[in-house]
Amino acid sequence: MKMTPAFKKAQGNMAPGVITAGGFLGDDKRDIKDIITEDEERMEYFSLDYETVCDKLEYLLEKGGKGLGEFTTVDDTWLVRTLEARGHLPCPFEDGIHRKITCEAVNLKNNRKILFSTISIHLLREHHFHEGKGSEFRLDPESLKKVLEI
Amino acid sequence: MAPDINLVTLFIASIFTSNILLSNFLGMCSFISISKDMKSSNGLGLAVTVVLGFTGIINWLVLHYILIPYGLLYLRYVVFIIVIAATVQVLEMVIDRISPALYMALGIFLPLITVNCAILGVVLFVEIRKYNLMQTLFFSIGSGLGWWLAIMALSAIQKKVQNAPVPAGLKGPGITLITIGFMAMAFIGFSGMVNVQ
Amino acid sequence: MNVIFVAPLIVSGIAAVLAALISILDMIVNNYGIVKIVINKGKKELEVKGGGNLLQLLAGNDIFLPSACGGRGSCGACKCVVKTDIGPLLPTETPYMTKDEIDVNTRLSCQIKVKKDIEIEIPDVLFNVKQLEGVVEKISDITHDIKELYISIGEETIEFEAGMYVQLVVPPYGKIKGETQRAYSMSSPPSDKNHVEILVRLVPGGIATTWVHTELKEGDKVKVIGPFGDFHRMETDATMICIAGGSGMAPFKSIFKDMYERKINNREVWYFFGARTGKDMFFLDELRELEKKWDKFHFVPALSEPEESDNWSGETGLITAVLHKYLKDKISSDTDREGYLCGGPGMIAACKSVLTDNGIPLEKIYFDNFA
Repeated sequence: MKMTPAFKKAQGNMAPGVITAGGFLGDDKRDIKDIITEDEERMEYFSLDYETVCDKLEYLLEKGGKGLGEFTTVDDTWLVRTLEARGHLPCPFEDGIHRKITCEAVNLKNNRKILFSTISIHLLREHHFHEGKGSEFRLDPESLKKVLEI
Repeated sequence: MAPDINLVTLFIASIFTSNILLSNFLGMCSFISISKDMKSSNGLGLAVTVVLGFTGIINWLVLHYILIPYGLLYLRYVVFIIVIAATVQVLEMVIDRISPALYMALGIFLPLITVNCAILGVVLFVEIRKYNLMQTLFFSIGSGLGWWLAIMALSAIQKKVQNAPVPAGLKGPGITLITIGFMAMAFIGFSGMVNVQ
Repeated sequence: MNVIFVAPLIVSGIAAVLAALISILDMIVNNYGIVKIVINKGKKELEVKGGGNLLQLLAGNDIFLPSACGGRGSCGACKCVVKTDIGPLLPTETPYMTKDEIDVNTRLSCQIKVKKDIEIEIPDVLFNVKQLEGVVEKISDITHDIKELYISIGEETIEFEAGMYVQLVVPPYGKIKGETQRAYSMSSPPSDKNHVEILVRLVPGGIATTWVHTELKEGDKVKVIGPFGDFHRMETDATMICIAGGSGMAPFKSIFKDMYERKINNREVWYFFGARTGKDMFFLDELRELEKKWDKFHFVPALSEPEESDNWSGETGLITAVLHKYLKDKISSDTDREGYLCGGPGMIAACKSVLTDNGIPLEKIYFDNFA
């Protein structure tokens, strides 16, 4: 697939030190277009759909907020901690800014963990971008399936 | 020798009858991309005129006092571009210092002009048509004003077109190119009046 | 032979002349000479070499505006009010400005270039801010995810009020190429002028916290800039109701130590500290010890989800619920009460509403929005 100038720009913004210190790509050297295409296929394989997944993530992020910065148990299924930091982050695709709220969710049954933030949800919902392999905030479709139980 | 054209005629002709944009089709890329916005068009037009005025004269001097005496005419493309790039750089610094307001108005357009083919085109015309120094000055500034006029006209038309029912397939660049075609035809109507070639 | 050499000579000659012209012009045109920066209506006047950005020029003269990104225009912290007309707001500044800030001509100091005399306004306390070179004297594990850093700044001294914070400068490490700064509240009392103590809780994916937890060792050199902040104890007789969670402990540790050292005994102090399980709770013994020595101090730790192994006998439930219970039953409403909060925005919002519901007016609630 062809990388449009907008995608190239976004890829540049995802490098370490541009928007976040660690960047959005991890050790993934592929074009973001390829990352997106592969993850879209894997989402289909696990029969996950983006809206449901994002709604669930938003739900956990909100419920986690009830713990006031500490881990808290949500629906007896997850241990969730939502942390809010100062300031905003721009989306690498340059379509808006987001609060810096990160959320850690651990599924108590299988102990699988995901780490995501408000910007991850936006990237997933609007751009189907799960972040590169090796990125701390990568939302791998398999992990999403296992952790969210949908 | 320099052609026998009086300066006023040359000036008027370079604005209207042989408009650099609409009869020679030079400087098209920025013409099409910037003309969507009237304010930017104005800034770019001004920048083109200013840069043309300076580079025209400087390149004429380089041409007649360096290139021709040493028989280096074949290097003119390289040399002209170097001179244009340097001139734009210098102008940018000077304008920033003298008039920050003008600098803000020109904004990113000034450096963009380095690669505008109208600038190089005018210099090459000056060389081919063997203009003298005064003719070069009038022709350069005239061409700049002509470019300015054309881009303002196009952006004004584009404003109208925005509210017009354009067929979906023609929206954007399509209708713009058709508009430019009409404008070019209208300007070519002038071309019998005076001859500067 | 002429033909071969003349052409390159001429072309490089022209290029050289033009390049020389540009650099000479650059020296003349971009030399703004010495410009004056007037701060807070003449409280301080700086003469600096014009042309640079305001943040750096101020830093070069030992005035440090808070900046988390180090001048890259991505944190929006280095705001200051500019009284001189220096042109319109830049596109790089607008995302960080509220309407009120634009109305008083607040600018991002890292984005504006100082080309002429300029008048600015900054909070007075920033005059005390210093850049300090320190050495990590001790790193202690407080809980599984909180470390305490005790930094010696040698002969240098730091003058601050208990409750203020410093910026820790994180050098490039691993994949991270640029220098970053992060703010941490000081937990050492103001009387310890040669040390800076901070609590750092590991935030997943956090640049600074990861560095402190994995890279930093005792004996390493570190840079801190400070003090900053307006979170401090008010000089009143009102009962202090302090609430914290996690590393929000830091400013209170400093405040209580300070009060105890200075024998400030004219007011009741209640300290509510929330954690999830026993392994997240810390400083229990120290605070209980303090409670015994100081009759006006009351410490209420609470666990929200205690585990069997914790053998917890204290309060359970979310800190907001515990707070509500105490405000209703145990803390007298006859004297004035003030709220002091330190935690994330969610925790602050929740505690604020509990406090206001129990009759403590919003203007008497002070908080440090950390994280």
